Amino acid sequence: MSDRMAEIREFARGRARRPLFVLGALLLLVVPILAPSQSSLATEALIFGLFAISVDIVLGYAGLLTLAPAAFFGLGAYSVAKVIVDFEQSFWLGFPVAIILALILAFIVGYVPIKRRIGDVYFVLFTLAFGAIAYDFTFVTTSVTGGSDGLGFFSPPEVLGIDLGDGLPYYYFTLLVVAAFSFGLYVLIKSDYGDVLTATRQNELRMRYLGYDTNRELMIAWLVSAAISAIAGAVYVGSIGIASPSLISFALTGDVIIWIIVGGTGTLLGPFAAAIGLVFMQEVLQSIWLEGYRLLLGILFVVFVFALPDGLMGLIRGEE
Amino acid sequence: MYEIPLITADNFITYALNGLSRGMIIFLVASGLSLIFGLIGLINFAHGAMLALGGYGTYIVIQATGNFWLGLVISVVLVTVLGYVLERKVLYWLYDEPLLGFLGTFGLGLVIEEALAVYFGSRSYTIPSPLPESIELLGVTYPSYRLFVILVGAIVALGIGLLLTRTRLGLEIHATANRQPTAEILGVDTARIYTITFVLGTALAALAGALTAPITSMYPTIGLDYITMAFLVIIVGGMGSFKGSFVVSMIVGQVIAFGWLLTAPTYVRILIFAAAMVFILYKPRGFFGKPEVHE
Repeated sequence: MSDRMAEIREFARGRARRPLFVLGALLLLVVPILAPSQSSLATEALIFGLFAISVDIVLGYAGLLTLAPAAFFGLGAYSVAKVIVDFEQSFWLGFPVAIILALILAFIVGYVPIKRRIGDVYFVLFTLAFGAIAYDFTFVTTSVTGGSDGLGFFSPPEVLGIDLGDGLPYYYFTLLVVAAFSFGLYVLIKSDYGDVLTATRQNELRMRYLGYDTNRELMIAWLVSAAISAIAGAVYVGSIGIASPSLISFALTGDVIIWIIVGGTGTLLGPFAAAIGLVFMQEVLQSIWLEGYRLLLGILFVVFVFALPDGLMGLIRGEE
Repeated sequence: MYEIPLITADNFITYALNGLSRGMIIFLVASGLSLIFGLIGLINFAHGAMLALGGYGTYIVIQATGNFWLGLVISVVLVTVLGYVLERKVLYWLYDEPLLGFLGTFGLGLVIEEALAVYFGSRSYTIPSPLPESIELLGVTYPSYRLFVILVGAIVALGIGLLLTRTRLGLEIHATANRQPTAEILGVDTARIYTITFVLGTALAALAGALTAPITSMYPTIGLDYITMAFLVIIVGGMGSFKGSFVVSMIVGQVIAFGWLLTAPTYVRILIFAAAMVFILYKPRGFFGKPEVHE
């Protein structure tokens, strides 16, 4: 049995690795053509894949467990919605606004806790409070965020004669954005910076003695993560056309954490694939057992935490 | 501009009592969390689900027998047993890894809450008050059930306070929290202390859930709102400080009760959370936390 496991593992890591990648990429390219009715679901899955990666930069590489990723996702979504609905500006202006606001907010929120090195447990609780504030804030500032009604409705513009408001073109737009930023993150993590981050997670004190400003390194990861979460939120709001408080809710934060753990913390491919897989699985399960799919998701998550804490990628990579 | 409403003496007493009963519920949740967090260092995210189970358990027994008091006792006992099983069989493995402990309890809480949602649906339930009459108190008529909640909270606070400061078990809990290896060498069965503390904390959550059921409506994720507040209460009060969670719960209860006179209730919540964030950063041991507890 374990020989067979090892064989499959070896196969997936060695000979089959490149073909599997190519197959995956091809699949992402042709999904909306094979199943046009599923293109909006596929768009959502891709966006959540990027969101999962961006959070994993903080959770898996920097080792900071945050409970507020949905705040940045929501900030991105609300920035775009606000720019279009209230200021009647272009959809594209929403993206730089989202990124800049996310960077500013992330800097304000993250500066002191990272500088003072408040420790894992306190960081969890700190971001829990921040996430709760962000959610409450969206509800009460009705004049700014539309309260529980949200900000809507709008659709993305035409580009070069192609209406992005259509499901299919928007899928390819999303694919382009997600591919670009995922590749960017991949390059970042494979660079020296990725090694510095991993080393900092494993032994921060030693890295400081080696002369690294670990606060700065963690801050960079935190900012990059926040900005890319905001971009994911901005692309997402374009596909559904309304920004609502559910995009900031703790439920979304919980989902991201589930995707990351199931995929494997500290890997980029794992959370990405797990997010896409689970979004599709959720759709299938919802049609079978509407009330119970989140229960099954929870059970799956618990099994992973206790039995396979390294996630699917840990299963494939084995002990290293 | 906000107009500050005029408060009569009667209103003042009513609000103060509302704040007291609300503060007591928060205290029951926070003290359980504080015991578990202060001693074990576990961010127990399943605590809110235990609270929800306490509430729904009471509801089931009421449906079957029509007796609230029976429901209160049965649901607290059952949830306590569940806490014991969970601690012995599952959570025990996660104590050395705080982040994994958070993820594990988060997952367990999710499973319990979703199971409740599947069984009861996500709509909210209300339980009729078991003590519907009101009493005259300090010149106001006040619902006697809320007075009962205040009384229970006060008794629990006193009881656990005495347990922690006046008994052998309390001494062993303090010793284990401060220096677990040393306590072990001196003959304290620390695994047993962990279990007792976790089970006690869970029982308090279930009690809070059962007591709050007739006051507020119940829904599967009711626990999340409570534990977010409770986590922040124990930080401001001081990690592992029982006195701290009591005092801060009372303050938070009063702030919520009177705060809405000045501004929207959500702003009051935001204010409390923001205060807790400042505390985490600049005074992580809170008002009453001792530096040696939970290192």
